[in-house]
Amino acid sequence: MHVFLAILRCVIAIVIAYLVVFVAALVNILFERRTLAFMTDRLGPNRTGWQGVLQSVADAFKMMGKEDFAPAQVDKVVFTLAPIMVMIGAVSIQLVIPYTKGWVGQDLNVGLIYIIAVTGFTVLSILIGGWASHNKYALVGALRAAAQMVSYEIPMILAVLVVAMTVGSLSLNAVVALQAGYKWLAFYMPFTLLIFYIASIAELNRGPFDLPEAESELVSGYNVEYSGMRFGMFFLNEYAGLTIMSMVVVTLFFGGWQGPWANALVIHRIALVPIVWFLIKTYVLVFLLVWVRLSLPRLQVDQLMGFAWKILIPLGLANIAVSGAILLWAPHWHLVMAIYSWVALLVFVGLFDIVLRWRLDRQRKKVAVLA
Amino acid sequence: MSDEFVDTVPDEALRLALSRVAGATAAGEGSDMQGLRLDEVVLNMGPQHPSTHGVLRLVVTLDGEMVKDVIPVIGYLHRCKEKLAEKRTYYQYIPIPDRTEYVAGMNCEWGYVMTVEKLAGIQPTRRAEVIRVIMAELNRIASHLVAVGTFTADLAPLGTAMVFYMFRDREQILDLLEAASGARMMFNYFRFGGVRYDLPDGWVEKCRDFLERFPKMVQEYESLVETNAIFLQRCLGKGVISQQDVVDYAITGPNARASGVAHDLRRTRPYSVYPELDFDLCLGRHGDVYDRYKVRIEEMKQSRAIILQCLDMLPKGPVQVGSLKPPYVITPPPGAVYTAQENPRGEYGTYIVSDGSRYPYRLKYRDPCFINLQIFPKLLTGNKIADAVAISGSMDLVLGGIDR
Repeated sequence: MHVFLAILRCVIAIVIAYLVVFVAALVNILFERRTLAFMTDRLGPNRTGWQGVLQSVADAFKMMGKEDFAPAQVDKVVFTLAPIMVMIGAVSIQLVIPYTKGWVGQDLNVGLIYIIAVTGFTVLSILIGGWASHNKYALVGALRAAAQMVSYEIPMILAVLVVAMTVGSLSLNAVVALQAGYKWLAFYMPFTLLIFYIASIAELNRGPFDLPEAESELVSGYNVEYSGMRFGMFFLNEYAGLTIMSMVVVTLFFGGWQGPWANALVIHRIALVPIVWFLIKTYVLVFLLVWVRLSLPRLQVDQLMGFAWKILIPLGLANIAVSGAILLWAPHWHLVMAIYSWVALLVFVGLFDIVLRWRLDRQRKKVAVLA
Repeated sequence: MSDEFVDTVPDEALRLALSRVAGATAAGEGSDMQGLRLDEVVLNMGPQHPSTHGVLRLVVTLDGEMVKDVIPVIGYLHRCKEKLAEKRTYYQYIPIPDRTEYVAGMNCEWGYVMTVEKLAGIQPTRRAEVIRVIMAELNRIASHLVAVGTFTADLAPLGTAMVFYMFRDREQILDLLEAASGARMMFNYFRFGGVRYDLPDGWVEKCRDFLERFPKMVQEYESLVETNAIFLQRCLGKGVISQQDVVDYAITGPNARASGVAHDLRRTRPYSVYPELDFDLCLGRHGDVYDRYKVRIEEMKQSRAIILQCLDMLPKGPVQVGSLKPPYVITPPPGAVYTAQENPRGEYGTYIVSDGSRYPYRLKYRDPCFINLQIFPKLLTGNKIADAVAISGSMDLVLGGIDR
């Protein structure tokens, strides 16, 4: 009987994971289109269904109806494999995220490491997809993606390490439990949050880090030769990524499902109200991602890599050292950590612009117009 | 280095790029990194590439992300606009210059009309002259809005916002131009000795109203990008054109003024009522991408000042010499005339040879975009491909003018 229940639980978890990925992708596509339209003084899609809610569904059906086309010279096996593989990361992450009190697909005791590990699958499929396409734009995009995602995984891990040290466990349930009573880690370690957030945007290939598919340079990058539902899989994965990455950030830094009236409505030991808090927090962050995308221009490859290796990784290492010292020796780590992290955040944000401006001006002065 | 595909396609530019790569490899100048042989990739950007602003085609040789060589290929928007003049009467040809630099139709029309007037010895009325300046400057603002908007769109995704804000405001200018001429893009408004219609009732007030709101709009654009660290990082010190290059390549317009060359035909070779107007030349000091952006922003402000002065001095009277109807058939005496005026993109010259008949014997444009394009191979080589896109965006090419 226990075996049967375990299998049932497994199946339900996987079904929910797929549902969340697909529904989140469709919702996010519409959400982003309408939000961008609002921000740029347009209407956006508002014809299909009430206020355009069916637009992404219609688009999905359109993509499924298209010819399953592969260019002549592609590597057929790999070309087909890439869009199938691309979803692995997004779906697998779902299995360890605690949606609510009493529901998590599998409370792995290495949840944090697991998340980092399965995120890497996305870069693999982008790389092989771009390589198999036999197209120069796709190849450049794929190589950019590989370089970028491998580089930004490091600051991401460095930030996650601080969380793990603080919690004393790698289980996501433990991370959420520690943040009960509004002791969200975001309040105590905003600097770590910033590092994690920047790295996670880069992992998502979102603006300003959307170099792999920079449409003004590479047309659409690694997926340029894909069409129909093969392209659709890349597209869905990218947009599902918004929600998934926001869910991870919420779980790690914003108290996960924690919120008022957590026990108001409980069915089979699964609390339902916290799901709402979880979703609200997630979509606030998704909105932030859309906002960031619209308000920042794209970085350049060397600037992007320089930012990861010269700024984020050293800062992440320093952050680990200081946070570790505080956790080890400070009697009340909450207060000391909060003071350190807020000061670090403000100094970083305040100085970054000034130093950059100064460096750029100095470089610019060297440029001679008068030959 | 033979390629089956290239061998079968008659594509001179692609072959040239490939042969250059082969030549460089043979001479041992190819990319070499600590004994590691790296291949250079010949990449075909355009004519359907999203950031070549129309149908410019660049055959780019890439070494990784670095641009090693650029061959611009043009002619995809060739519509025989010069040859058309030889089969049409002077009057019938007026709508065609609109189609050359289609973002600044008023200015182009003015160039043609001014040349024919000089050829035939027609002096436009004073009111018409002032109206012409107003229209040309309004169109200059509209054109710079497109230029800066699409340039920021090349640094996307920020441009998604910027370009929509700019097009929203350009819309109001097009409304003004439409109220005066009846068209939003292909105006057909200028006539020999004047303009087609007088300004409609209430137009001056509408125009003033727009100009009053305009500084706030410019402020919005500036606040969007100029404090943005990434924007500055992408623009400062990139794609520098030295003053020597400006002279060597005969670059004109905002691109020349960004390098600090004080060349503006409205000043250096004034025409129409420009000598009476008070405006500043906007000069950059570095000649980089940022200066080319900034000069355009400043020029919009100067154009606003010019229009305000023109509205103040707008005299009463006819907008057309002679009878109210424009002269449909004119036969200028034999001769040749070249006039040039300051278009939003630089010196726009029109050269007409007349043999005394009703048709021009020959018409030739000196299009600023075509001349500005010539520096591309030198300018883009050695930059990252992302920079190359930003630089070519900042040069503000209009393919209608290049291909004619």
